[in-house]
Amino acid sequence: MREITLTDMERLGAFDEAERTFQMTEEAFRTFYELTARPVRVYLARMTGDDRLADDLLQETYYRFLRANRAFDNDDHRRNYLFRIATNLVHDHRRKPFMEVPAAAIAEVPDAAAAAQAAERAARRLDLHRAMQRLKPRERSMLWLAYAQGWSHEEIASAIGVKTASMKAMLHRARQRLVALLKTGAQS
Amino acid sequence: MSAYDCPREQDVVNAVLGGHWPDRCNESLVAHAAHCVTCREIAQVSVLLQEDVDHARIDVIVPAAGQIWWRAAVRARLESTQAAARPMTWMHAITGAIVVGVFLAGLTAVWPMLPSVLNMITRAVNLDMLPSPEVTNALAGGLAMAAGVGVVAAAILIIAPLALYFAFSDD
Repeated sequence: MREITLTDMERLGAFDEAERTFQMTEEAFRTFYELTARPVRVYLARMTGDDRLADDLLQETYYRFLRANRAFDNDDHRRNYLFRIATNLVHDHRRKPFMEVPAAAIAEVPDAAAAAQAAERAARRLDLHRAMQRLKPRERSMLWLAYAQGWSHEEIASAIGVKTASMKAMLHRARQRLVALLKTGAQS
Repeated sequence: MSAYDCPREQDVVNAVLGGHWPDRCNESLVAHAAHCVTCREIAQVSVLLQEDVDHARIDVIVPAAGQIWWRAAVRARLESTQAAARPMTWMHAITGAIVVGVFLAGLTAVWPMLPSVLNMITRAVNLDMLPSPEVTNALAGGLAMAAGVGVVAAAILIIAPLALYFAFSDD
């Protein structure tokens, strides 16, 4: 297969073309990115359980967002669309069965009391990760957007592509499953 | 209100996300959550997820906006270059198909004549009408060379366009 590569001049030209091809200017993108990059990156990492994959998906999410040929009413609408892209990408990559233990969860802490507290928090997070991984990808996304991001049912329905009317019931079921899994995890 | 929700669930979520739950928020909300199964569940799940978000945000490192923009711009440029090259790929594919078609058409035209040629050769052998050994050898040599040239020509005509097609195809 022949690889098509760009010369330096073409790379410079890429910026002019980007201004024409992308749906927003570089300045506007920078502002929007500063507001959304961290939540999206955390969301991707938690949904995939893989930091490297999350980095790749972050780039892909913003690329698809920039190439999207559509008008947005406001920043919330824009942000919902961004999470919708991220959700779709996560669902396309949902192959990894279990989430890795985050390295930071087992980081060392200075004194014994703080160590015990940190260990307790790390164990809680680990239980949460394990329980989340046993949910369906859509359930994970719904719970995260509802209770970690604080989105309304309408916003979640729009982001994950389901009807708002069925959102409450789906969220209720997902929440009950998570609580049950957390109880099981705590008992075991 | 359905069996799935409680009118105060968003208040509980907001209190947790705002960092007010349970000590710095409305006492009536905490009292309500104590006996409302939905709100109790929501508080439990929200607290755990929020703790996870807070922890993850400390460690998370995202690339600079300029880097994301630059990569996207270069990729957009690459994709448009590839899109521009696509007609060439199609042209090669069509050329290859035409060459194969012409070759097959030629073969089809020659095919009906083969039995009569074979017949003629058989009769010549039977009737002892073969020319002298020198002439036969020269003919055989010429035929072998012609066959070789024919095979090479056919190979060039068929394989070259196919090779070009695969070399320039995108995927």
